Parts: sequence; C-alpha cells; structure tokens
Amino acid sequence: MRLSVAAAISHGRVYRRLGLSPRSRLDLLRNLVTALVRHERIETPWARADEMRGYAERLIDYAKRGDKDERAMRMADFWLTEKDLIHKLFKVLAPRFQPHPGSYTRMLQIPNRDGLDRAKMAVIELKGNPLPPLVRPRRDSDKTLLNQLLKGYRQDAQRAAAA
Amino acid sequence: RVSSDGKPPKFQPPPKPVIIDRKTQKEERRFLSPEFIPPRGRTDPLKYYIERKDMIQRRKVFNIPEFYVGHVLAVTTADPHARDKSNRFVGICIQRGGKGLGATFVLRNVIEDQGIEICYELYSPRIQAIEVLKLEKRLDENLMYLRDALPEYSTFDVNMRPVPRMDHEEIPVNKLQVRMKPKPWSKRWERPKYNIKGIKFDLPEHQMKAAQKWSQPWLEFDMLREYDTSKIEEKIRKELSEELEK
Repeated sequence: MRLSVAAAISHGRVYRRLGLSPRSRLDLLRNLVTALVRHERIETPWARADEMRGYAERLIDYAKRGDKDERAMRMADFWLTEKDLIHKLFKVLAPRFQPHPGSYTRMLQIPNRDGLDRAKMAVIELKGNPLPPLVRPRRDSDKTLLNQLLKGYRQDAQRAAAA
Repeated sequence: RVSSDGKPPKFQPPPKPVIIDRKTQKEERRFLSPEFIPPRGRTDPLKYYIERKDMIQRRKVFNIPEFYVGHVLAVTTADPHARDKSNRFVGICIQRGGKGLGATFVLRNVIEDQGIEICYELYSPRIQAIEVLKLEKRLDENLMYLRDALPEYSTFDVNMRPVPRMDHEEIPVNKLQVRMKPKPWSKRWERPKYNIKGIKFDLPEHQMKAAQKWSQPWLEFDMLREYDTSKIEEKIRKELSEELEK
C-alpha cells in the first residue's frame, strides 16, 4: 500500500516552470517583454503571457523612476534585448503610464492555436496603444425592457415639452 | 552707505544665523524590529494584526532593546533547576529568525573550549532580561559561519562589562574578516549563494573560481522576487508608535 503522498503538489509555488531551466525561463520571458515593448500587442500561449505580465508591469514601474536612476537603467538593459527600445521605454511608455498607479497591461484569451498542440493562447497588450481596440464596447439592444421604458419616458417628456 | 537726509543712518540688524538642528534631523533613523514585518504570502493580515497586538502588549511590560546580528547580548532566563532560579548567558547574536510572536535569535559563545549556541524566543515569558553589551553590526546578516571559524572569534567573556555608547545613532559596522578552520566546513561558505563578505578566504584561486560556477547572475534581475516593504513598514511604525504611547 502507498504510505507516502505522491509529491505532485506544489504548495505555495508562485513561478511556473517554463523552458529548460530557470535561466531559460527568464530568457523566454525577456524575449516576450521585448516583443511587447516593441509591438505593444502580442499573441502568445496563455501561461507565458500570464508570467510575462508581472515582469512587464514591474519593468514599467522601474521606468517610471526615470532614466537617471542607475538601477532602473540596469534593469531596462537586462530586460530589453533590443537596445533602441530602452529609449522608447523611458521616453514614451513611462510618461504614458505616469498618471496610472498600476495595471498597465490587458490580457484576453483567444481561440486555441491552429497547430497540432491546440495550445491555449492569449493576447496581451499595453493600454493606450495606437492599434485598433480589441474589444468594441457594444451598446445594449433597444428591445430590452429598461431601454423600452426609457424610450417611452423620453417620448413622453418630448410630447409634454411640445404641448 | 547713503546718508538719509541728515538723520542718523537706520540701524541695520546683523543677519540672523541659520541654525541647523542636527539632533532633530538625525532622529529620523528609526528601528523597526524585523519580526514585525509580515512575510509575503496569502495569509489573512488579521492574523498578523492580532499577533502584533500581543507583541506590543509584551513590549509594554518588558523592554526588548534594539539589536542586530553581531551584537553581544546577555540574556537572563528563568530556570527552575538553577539555584537562583535564573540563568544568564552571554553570546554574540548570529541569526534572527521567525516572524511574529515566534521570533527567535541565536546566541553563540565558546565556554571552556566548547562552542554553545542557544536559540531564544524574543517574546517568551521565561526571559527576564536582555542587555546589549556590545553594539556593532557585522558585514553579513547571518553569522552561521562562525561555527567553522577559529574559536577565538566566538569567545566572549561571560562577565563582560557593557561597552558604553555615547551617541544615539550610527551603530558601527565591524569590517572584521574572520579566519576559518581548515575545510571541510558545515556549509560551503565560498559559494555565491551565501554571499558572505566577512570571511577571509585563504583558498587557492581555482577553488574560488570553481565556486563561482554556482552563481546565478540572473537572480538579481528577477523583479518578482523583490519584496518592497517600505509602505508596510510605515503603517506598522505608525501603529507601533500609537500603541506604545498609550
């Protein structure tokens, strides 16, 4: 009989295991963060997008400290593999997100990938990007009860004003 | 100076001296005991709040002085089997661990060529007095390597007099580099994981280079591992100062 619990429970572990090793995981996420800063909207597997979200937001918090800060510059230098994006991070993204205290990214799920693995995909984008919006806000239909009542009220008010 | 219409010139008072009050400026350094800061996790903050209330209650009755790792302390505990019912131990604090009411500190001393380490709980009711005999910080937060150092670095006189301290700030940092016994040690202190600055390694170059193989330079850039405690500390400091004034 089995006397010990099979060790497949990860109590309290926060970081997912991606890639080949912890170094590889950070390199993967670093490439994704660089791509996000360059294109401002990317499609990746959901798990990678979720891991990357925290790092991207912390990177923007560091960038908000300003480029005079030694630590902020070292972080940006490590996390952005393409060095022209460091300028974009400090000069474009930091002022854009200065008034907001947190949550600079938006993550939405997408239909599964077309290849053989059918992976769960997500699109992650920086808020305030110049691309067309992902979600178009739809107005409620006119046929709902509340909207019909409001329409009737508006018509009554117009008739009373005309009379 | 232009004379004003024959009247005597108006008295110009000398410029007032600018007084820089150094005392009020230096009081900004405040010490918050590390066991008050809650660890990162998903526990309900209510648990830490209740624990803090109990800790403050104990601190009102019994004075726990401010101390760091590297200070030499003398602790008197209640001992039912001793003749005077109390037991005094002097030692250097090598580690402070635990959060909340279970906060502990380990004191080490070498008595009659036998190394002794005792782990005391800060908030235990058995402790009758804690005196700080010597104030000095060391280069590391954890002095466990003193176990593998030569015994002279851990011996402290049991009847040591408290070293008088003049100013109420600027705890001196002792940049002592400790010499070690020959290998094997209890832990491989030369590895970068321990990040020890207070040992004078007399190892050959190739061993030091081989130890660097275990270094993880990416850890420094892993942003999610950082735990920023400044806001939490501010809240706890305010709470502490309010409660202790009552």
